Amino acid sequence: MNLARQIPTLLRGETESVAPWTDTASPARVGTWLAVTVGGSAAFGAAMGWWRAPEQALFTAVKLPLVLLFTALGNALLNAMLAPLLGVNIGLRQSLLAVLMSFTIAGAILGGVAPLLAFVIWNAPPLAQSASAGTTHAFILLTIVAAIAFAGIAANLRLLRLLERLGGTASVARRVLFAWLSINLFLGSQLAWILRPFVGSPGLPVQFLRDEPLKGSFYEAVFYSLRRLFLD
Amino acid sequence: MLNTSPLPPEQPTPGSTTTPTQPAPTAAPPPPLPGAPGTDPAERVPIAGMFGASEAILRQPQRVWFQLTQAGQLQLILVLLGIAILGALAYGLVVGTFTGGDQLWAAPVKIAGGLLISGLICLPSLYIFACLSGAHTRLAEVCGLVAGLLALTTVLLIGFAPVAWVFSQSTESVAAMGALHLAFAAIAVGFGMKFLARGFEQLNARFGGGLRVWTIIFVLVLLQMTAALRPILGTSDAFLPGEKKFFVSHWTDSLKSSGGGAGRR
Repeated sequence: MNLARQIPTLLRGETESVAPWTDTASPARVGTWLAVTVGGSAAFGAAMGWWRAPEQALFTAVKLPLVLLFTALGNALLNAMLAPLLGVNIGLRQSLLAVLMSFTIAGAILGGVAPLLAFVIWNAPPLAQSASAGTTHAFILLTIVAAIAFAGIAANLRLLRLLERLGGTASVARRVLFAWLSINLFLGSQLAWILRPFVGSPGLPVQFLRDEPLKGSFYEAVFYSLRRLFLD
Repeated sequence: MLNTSPLPPEQPTPGSTTTPTQPAPTAAPPPPLPGAPGTDPAERVPIAGMFGASEAILRQPQRVWFQLTQAGQLQLILVLLGIAILGALAYGLVVGTFTGGDQLWAAPVKIAGGLLISGLICLPSLYIFACLSGAHTRLAEVCGLVAGLLALTTVLLIGFAPVAWVFSQSTESVAAMGALHLAFAAIAVGFGMKFLARGFEQLNARFGGGLRVWTIIFVLVLLQMTAALRPILGTSDAFLPGEKKFFVSHWTDSLKSSGGGAGRR
């Protein structure tokens, strides 16, 4: 199949065509998926970072694809171990390719909505001004979250159908997807924490990485925030 | 994609009793569905020129949908975009006559530019939504349908232009003229969206929920363009505004200033 036509096939979730692609890792095919994942998420990241500053747009365009790729690679081994344990008898290559496919779908969706996000941000007051204004700030943050959530849900629904095809039953596919999602979210959140900021606070300088990026973790930050909220 | 294909003249027509001299190909395309684009021979005639395309989009939309799946689709898309640009410029000129002066050139540029940018911004998401909904459609066909949507919208706006001009010469109220133009645009875009939705159906690419969401997004982008490119009616020192505004607050401010006696100049 023409490489460019693989992306619509992935988006449509045609598992009969897609399932055989996990058997062999064709370099051209994987290259296309990586290009779509990186290109789409970079476009979305650029739109997101542009809200803070043009320099931040460049930084976020580099960092958002890195979060996706490092998450896929970092969990590849664990994903491959969990799948057969939970009932889908696939190997490392197949599980990595399946996850890459779902990230390709997410990348394509993010790339598709990136012009819309850029338009919303072009029409919004500068971040420094809107942070105090409240409503616009909240609206843009919600737009970003909604777009990422939509891309993630759509990608995982397609992955679920692929796992059903590879594993045979819906319950087994759900188990594997839940396990994969859990560890991907666990690692992905921490990677995003390390590579922060993506939008940036108007009170802090524009930086590629914050000072001491490896200090602390996403989960510690959530814990301290909850403690401040409920106990202080 | 269409399940029809143009029949070459040497092939027997469906239902013909003539014995073919060549053996039939093993993977022959399925016969066209009754009522599908291309079943009427008139729909297979290529569309030539802007007038031909304008007439086809109004009278023979099936011909446009069919031609968008054929080899010369790029030319048709360019013609449709040409209609959209010229139509928007013409309607923009009528909009500009309300204020006169610099708005005679600024309003046409803003309306044509705004319409094209809106289409461009929303095109990738339409294609993604179509694919996610399982629609078998190609990017070129989606481009063609969006170009058709823009072309039909501006053709209808040209139809409204004389009415808009009469009102623009009669009233001094920016708010009243704004409301009138919005009403005309809503009708025109409504027909344009119908063309787009039916086009997807005819291309065997029906996707109800995704298209409804996209329609809302497209309309919101168009409405925001009225604030992003303001003033389209009335006057300003700058071509584009320095202050960013949501379209609802822009309209509210316009209504307030109109209530305070603000007029065309």
